[in-house]
Amino acid sequence: MIPFLTYPLALMALAAVPALTAIYLLRNRFRRRQVSSLVLWQFQVQSKAGGAKINRLQLPLLFFLELAALILLVVAATGPQWKLPQSARPLIVVLDDSFSMRAVQDQVSAQTRARDFLENLFHHQPPPATRLILAGREPRSLGVTAKSWREVDELLRQWQCRAPSAAIDAAMTLASEVGKQQANLLVLTDHPPADGKITSQRLEWHAFGRPLDNFAIVNASRTAFGEQDRCLLEVANFSSGARATRLAVQTGSNAAQSQAILLGAHESQRLVFNLPAAAPALRATLDADALTEDNGIELLPPIRKRVRVLVAVANENASALANRALDATGLRATISENPELIVHETDSAAGSNAWSLAWSTIAATNAYTGPFIMDTSHPLAAGMALEGVVWAAAAATNPPGAVPVIFAGNTPLLSAREDAMGRRHLTLNLNPEISTLQNTPDWPILFWNILSWRISEMPGLKESNARLGAEVVLKTTGEAVTVMQPNGEKRFFPKTGGELALETPQPGIYSVVAGATTNQFSVNVLAADKSDLSACATGQWGKWSEDTEHRLVEASVGWIFGLLALALLTAHLYLVATAKGGS
Amino acid sequence: MDPAYRQALHDGEKLGLRYALQIPQVAASGWTGSRSGRHAGSSIDFQDYREYQPGDDLRFIDWGIYARTDRLTVKLYREEVTPHLDLILDGSCSMNLEDTAKASGAAQLAALLATAAANAQCTQSVWLAGEGFQRLPNDALMPSAWDRLEWTSKRTPEQAFEILPPKFRRLGVRVLVSDLLWPGEPLQLLRRLRDGAAALFVIQLLARDDATPPEHGNLRVVDSETGTENEIYIDASMARQYTDNLAQLQQSWADACRQCGAQMTTLIAEDLGTSLGELEAIQLLTPA
Repeated sequence: MIPFLTYPLALMALAAVPALTAIYLLRNRFRRRQVSSLVLWQFQVQSKAGGAKINRLQLPLLFFLELAALILLVVAATGPQWKLPQSARPLIVVLDDSFSMRAVQDQVSAQTRARDFLENLFHHQPPPATRLILAGREPRSLGVTAKSWREVDELLRQWQCRAPSAAIDAAMTLASEVGKQQANLLVLTDHPPADGKITSQRLEWHAFGRPLDNFAIVNASRTAFGEQDRCLLEVANFSSGARATRLAVQTGSNAAQSQAILLGAHESQRLVFNLPAAAPALRATLDADALTEDNGIELLPPIRKRVRVLVAVANENASALANRALDATGLRATISENPELIVHETDSAAGSNAWSLAWSTIAATNAYTGPFIMDTSHPLAAGMALEGVVWAAAAATNPPGAVPVIFAGNTPLLSAREDAMGRRHLTLNLNPEISTLQNTPDWPILFWNILSWRISEMPGLKESNARLGAEVVLKTTGEAVTVMQPNGEKRFFPKTGGELALETPQPGIYSVVAGATTNQFSVNVLAADKSDLSACATGQWGKWSEDTEHRLVEASVGWIFGLLALALLTAHLYLVATAKGGS
Repeated sequence: MDPAYRQALHDGEKLGLRYALQIPQVAASGWTGSRSGRHAGSSIDFQDYREYQPGDDLRFIDWGIYARTDRLTVKLYREEVTPHLDLILDGSCSMNLEDTAKASGAAQLAALLATAAANAQCTQSVWLAGEGFQRLPNDALMPSAWDRLEWTSKRTPEQAFEILPPKFRRLGVRVLVSDLLWPGEPLQLLRRLRDGAAALFVIQLLARDDATPPEHGNLRVVDSETGTENEIYIDASMARQYTDNLAQLQQSWADACRQCGAQMTTLIAEDLGTSLGELEAIQLLTPA
């Protein structure tokens, strides 16, 4: 016997029975209402009756169906209870995706131990639903909710542990949002929490790392140095005591040269050496240790872009000054056919691809000693100091459309503008006869800046060596680009804008095919924080509260009555839709 | 342009003076400008000295120190950047729902965001998603100077993408203002909006009539975009279904936003002035 009289909601619902009759009697005509979209109304029952001015009853069958539905809803409103098994809370697992998880001891990595733990957890206390979040450089949710270990195991294949850092805090924030404070959080990593304790009732932190000794290459660069390449390698010892390793360096197919390196605890050593510019890729490896990923690097030759420059200045003295500064930059190509930069005395366009530097050497009436106003954010002014410089220039006003870079008072000394074809036209207002600029370090810096700016606008890669996770910028002219990753996976970009930032999710050699040209760049694992395993630990911090256990609880079964009512209403809908309700 | 929208732009501009756009750290790169970026760069703000390392830019060597100490030392300056706001307005007819303040609210909200962006020294572009993505005339100026702000399109932003996609600036902050009331999978649109952005915010702007269940009785509902009519009898369960449908639609957008790393909030056009705290809560605005 349902004591529905003690439930005000049920009584109110009962009162709906006469209301239902009243509704049938007092049906109104349709009121027009404009709505934003019918998308919210698509599941509504479309009434086939009504709309007329006459108020009339629907068929009795429909009425009785509605009456029965109402009664079922009345019962549901009394809140009938039944003992039902309540499932445990859903689980969200945050997986440390940094490469330090691959550190092995006795052939077993922290990643393997964490995976085994998770499998064990599923066998003993399977959660009703599980979501996985990878904590790499940025948190990333792994697909849909998994219901079984088989589905979780499938998702775990994406857990590669190749990231240079682990954003566990951000991943936990994401997990909290996804779980709406209701899910249990499980963090699987190789280090303890930052403050050493967990206060949340919903979080368990499990670390599977070991404080292992490790040598790592933490820094590597190869840069153009005149006609040679200058290489820097930095090897660090992240062990608890002094240890030795061997560094083997090999270029192309030449025999590897190795040298012993002895370092104290947490010491590092830098090696700087030169290579011929023609030397192929340089590979450096350390002896095998706990963490393989940081033992080897590969450095490709730096990208040497040169600018074809034509100096067409009639003044011999000025021409010699320009040529000498241009040659000193090392960025000038040996040929000047089809020039990409023309230094001349008039500001006129030449060629479809050429930038111009209009150097006005006409007799200056004013010699300025400063203060000079510089737009230091402009690429032409980078590194220029102009301390103690005397700059002689003709009194002039800024030409229309030009962006001034250096001013003396209101006289523009150096300005730049861009034409409709994207070419830059620079104007240098300088009379070297009574200036000292050409005798200061600022003079070659200025020409370096001009060539460097020109190079930055040329198509191709900006660098040939990058750290894992960094973006590599590719300048394109709009053609399709194909990128082949080290694992053979290809990514195709059908249309590109002026610049394409390429992601580097894994170490190795990437090939970039843009139009007819193919370029390569190398990505190396260089992350000292993650190579240092001394802070790794094994243990558990925090524990889920007891209410997460599996148990039987009194649960409302009002939904069963609700479902029955829904079934009746579905029948009602069918009758209305097929007009069998009789109209 | 409708004088009511012009007035709404004025109001939004006035309201926006109290706020500044919150720039995410990722957005602190890009074109050179007047905000401090996250890297060392080439502003006049001196940051540090560091010993020269192979590969360093020779232009930043302090030759004075070299002359005194015979050691190569490099000057580091703080980078300065101009973050950018791409504001995307849904230009469909549903944003101009009759007898509601939705269109004025959208204009006011757009003006508010643009002014807050200006307060944060951001540049801005305002895109109207209608027959393709079109920039509003004068959108780089103050909102009161904008022109041709109208909601007449019968296309959704998703369809607008297919006709004429926008050219968003890389690493900019993007904000989509729409009622989000169209069928389809939101993820694809969000991914396209999120691509290359430092942050994406989705603001669902509803009229109060959109957000509250319909009144009981017989209704002839007319779709504002297609003109399709449906005759429906509304009772409590229908009203609940309507609320559920809205919640389900919002949930699907919220899930898609979460997957894309976007932030989403819902505002009611009629209550705009009192609900700006929501924009602070999703870290889009901060008091100026």
